[in-house]
Amino acid sequence: MRFEHVTQGEADEFALGVLEPEEQRRIAEHALTCEECRTRLLDAQRVAAMLALAPGLRPPPPRLKQRVMEAAGVSRRRAWLPRLARLSPIAAAAAAVVLAAAAFAAVVPLRAQIDDLRQENGRLQSQIDDALGQRVEIVALTHRLQSAEASAWEAQYEAQMDREMLLALLSPESDTAEVISVAEGYAPIGRLIWDGDQNRLFFVASRLPRLPDGLTYELWVNVDGEYRSLGTFNADSSGFARFVRYLPEGLASYESAVVTVERVGEPGRHGPGVFFVADLRALR
Amino acid sequence: MGWDRNPRASRARTFDEAMALPLGQRDAHDLAHWSDDSLMAAVVARDVAAFSALYDRYAGLVYSTALRVLRDPQLAEDTAQEIFVRLWQRPEAFIPARGRFATWLLSITRNRAVDEVRARGRRRRREVEEREEQPLPLSAPEEVDPIHLAEVREEQRAVRAALATLPPEQRRVLELAYFGGLTHQEISAALREPLGTVKTRIRLGMQKLRAALERYR
Repeated sequence: MRFEHVTQGEADEFALGVLEPEEQRRIAEHALTCEECRTRLLDAQRVAAMLALAPGLRPPPPRLKQRVMEAAGVSRRRAWLPRLARLSPIAAAAAAVVLAAAAFAAVVPLRAQIDDLRQENGRLQSQIDDALGQRVEIVALTHRLQSAEASAWEAQYEAQMDREMLLALLSPESDTAEVISVAEGYAPIGRLIWDGDQNRLFFVASRLPRLPDGLTYELWVNVDGEYRSLGTFNADSSGFARFVRYLPEGLASYESAVVTVERVGEPGRHGPGVFFVADLRALR
Repeated sequence: MGWDRNPRASRARTFDEAMALPLGQRDAHDLAHWSDDSLMAAVVARDVAAFSALYDRYAGLVYSTALRVLRDPQLAEDTAQEIFVRLWQRPEAFIPARGRFATWLLSITRNRAVDEVRARGRRRRREVEEREEQPLPLSAPEEVDPIHLAEVREEQRAVRAALATLPPEQRRVLELAYFGGLTHQEISAALREPLGTVKTRIRLGMQKLRAALERYR
């Protein structure tokens, strides 16, 4: 039989325990699988439990704590104390002396044990501190290693690029053009290598002005009177840039190339104009 | 309830923080300032000092609740002992995600006491003759943290004020239900009132109590 959700009234009755056992059990079973009703029941129980405060507090008997500790097994039974009180005064005095002596005798080894434990604790604490220190060092070393690894990969990539660009320069299938700066009175600042053998284009230049955020360089090639974009690139902090691009399919040759400054993320021509010209005719 | 709102300690405020302190710095004074949940976490880790601190904090409430239900100091003492021993032996029974420690502790205390009453079969005779009990002055062991004690006092004032706003007949059925452990039918029989009337009074009483104690829950 399907059980309806518990109403607020039923939750209150459940929390107060006024329902008949069968109803109490049905609600409890339903709450096991219904989070909404479980939440309502727990809330009702919080309200009901506050009723316990209404009558006020009575301090528990002082002996209760000792009883609890003994029953929980976390305190030694002191049954001999009441027995001592029942002894005659002389016997009690004698017993007290014996107990005092026994206690003193017991205290000495106990104190030694405590000192040993304290020393052991100090040693353990020291070991923990050492282990934590070593862990910190390992983390720092790992970071340095990862950083060195990244640098190594970068250097390896640069070397690979240099090697491939050299091959492109030496290839009889390559066309090389001089990159000229319009801004610097048409001074040569780099090379554009069209490598038909590797089907790639290399652009390398220096003395490029650092662009403000939001702008990027874009390389275009003129094919049959129409400019086609080959991608964007940026110069490093020294003004050096190297841009490599696989030639798009169907692009076998070009007439000229330009580099423009464009806005990042806005395809097409939006920038302030042509910045560099790669003049093939100069070196072909 | 307000007394487990994570009172602040001078050095350690959580179980993890306290465990990070070198031994010897975690004294009884610190533990008295721990939140209930932190103390219970320490009890799960078999920390006797944390168990002792929880006893100091709640022995009065547990004993008083048991006494209110059982009406017998010796039985109340036995019940309180049983509750705390169970707390030490099975601390994992308390699941923090399901509610606050104080709620859970008082619920199991009340339920255990009611079970005891039912087992002894004395409930009906006593409840029918029961007179309205005057609220007792608040007193607590000296070991209880003053901040905690102040919060308990505030909670107690709020509960009493909330109950005082209820019509006497609604207050009566709530007391018979919670402290007497009577069912609907039994309350109806004890008060010689129709069952529907009893149910209505209980629902209205709890509704008002919930609204009045909203910020303490």
